[in-house]
Amino acid sequence: MAKSYQEINEKIARGEAVVVTAEEVIGIVKERGVKEAAEYVDVVTTATFGPMCSSGAFLNFGHSDPPIRMGEITINGVEAYGGLAAVDTYLGATQPSVDQGIEYGGAHVIHDLIAGKEVHLVAKSQGTDCYPRTELDTWVKLEDLNEAYLFNPRNVYQNYNAAINGSSQRLYTYMGILQPNMGNITYSTAGELSPLLNDPLLKTIGMGTRIFFGGAQGHVSWMGTQFNTACPRDDKGYPQTPGATLALIGNMKEMDPKYIRGAVYEGYGTSMFVGVGIPIPILNEEIMSFVAVENKDLYTNVIDYSVPKKTKPNLKKVSYAELRSGSVDINGKSIKTSPLSSLKMAREIAAELSNWIKKGEFFLQEPIQSFPMGNAIKGLEIKEGESR
Amino acid sequence: MITKKILLSFPQKSAGQPMAMELIKNYHLDFNILKAFIDDNIKGTLLLEIKGEEADIEAGIVFLRQNQIGVKDIQSVVEVDENKCVSCGACTAVCAVGALEMTADWSLVHHDDKCLECMLCVKACPMRAIHAVI
Repeated sequence: MAKSYQEINEKIARGEAVVVTAEEVIGIVKERGVKEAAEYVDVVTTATFGPMCSSGAFLNFGHSDPPIRMGEITINGVEAYGGLAAVDTYLGATQPSVDQGIEYGGAHVIHDLIAGKEVHLVAKSQGTDCYPRTELDTWVKLEDLNEAYLFNPRNVYQNYNAAINGSSQRLYTYMGILQPNMGNITYSTAGELSPLLNDPLLKTIGMGTRIFFGGAQGHVSWMGTQFNTACPRDDKGYPQTPGATLALIGNMKEMDPKYIRGAVYEGYGTSMFVGVGIPIPILNEEIMSFVAVENKDLYTNVIDYSVPKKTKPNLKKVSYAELRSGSVDINGKSIKTSPLSSLKMAREIAAELSNWIKKGEFFLQEPIQSFPMGNAIKGLEIKEGESR
Repeated sequence: MITKKILLSFPQKSAGQPMAMELIKNYHLDFNILKAFIDDNIKGTLLLEIKGEEADIEAGIVFLRQNQIGVKDIQSVVEVDENKCVSCGACTAVCAVGALEMTADWSLVHHDDKCLECMLCVKACPMRAIHAVI
């Protein structure tokens, strides 16, 4: 028996919707079978809380008197983009500060703003007839701004590589510290709780999908950058390499600093931990069978990050159950595995989103446009010659 | 005989005084200097593993405090700030002795008695929730 978005939303409004997390649903499907479980459960919540570098905020400061057309902008010493209209800017999460470098970057400013802290805004301009001010130095809070919203071009990767280091030197990477001589393996996923692994063919997640975003209700605004739906898949359709990504949008003024945090990867740079939860409507049995996936059936590859090339050697295909077990055997050697994204926080977010839906505070939004399947990613060719 | 780890902090005026000598001579204590550090303000920090009779250790600590030296019992030179930690697990990747590990429900746990003080976890923590006390 198929259900529509409208029917599920009516159940949510009546407080009758059955909502469970993507971990809880596994047992329900085992006990009742896919058909009965699909009739019983209305919404499955998924979540992730991990480092997502391709993130940032659009901010509008309002006009000073006399007004300025902000050209060079720093917020708490972190440079923000001055190539928009007079008092609009985009602050990128990975931008390091002038004084503290990667230890305090754009992501930390975004966290501080959401936490309600005052930040130091400095701007310069060449001055124009309509915007005569040339310098500005002031302090602002999130509540003082006209608009402040996160617009993250690439979040919630559908699957990602596990990392290992085959060289004799320690490596400092965005996959954490990798010990020499294959000393450890790191991985970053919420696995069976991960949003896009529960909807591998993007049957329900598309442009306009309403989501939990940093503690606020946000939306999927577009396909994420490096969107790769032409990736290798297993017979059921689950990606076995990095696959789809999402661009997300949400109001910073409604966010909770607990779910948006600045991060530092030693020797690499600043990043941002982003908390995202996505509800999956159980419209039919096919969708229920997708969300019933377990870590033992989800695979990724252990990639050697010591090779400084775009295509790095793939040492082994492993399941997320193996990675979660604490060690993986490679060439007869047992190698310790460690996570980089917080499953504990992801579980908290999935439970929080479930509560919102159960309380009738959050309704499902049907996508206004689906994302393309079979979309491959391109590399960048380096072309010789000074002029063309 | 017992063994314990203590962290001493010397104010500027105490730097250079032979306190260690007193501990050996008057309180019969045996110790290992695990780490020593003097900052730009001539404030000194000393991490000691001391061995002796419990009463002598107690008396030695009283003597040090009377001389304006801060004394703190510690197990490990690193501390995890639970308000900042998100239990991501990045620190467990570099902790070779399992002093930092994930529990069955994927929370971080710090077994401070296992720490070998390599300090790699301080660098590995993306939240900068782990800091060295020395």
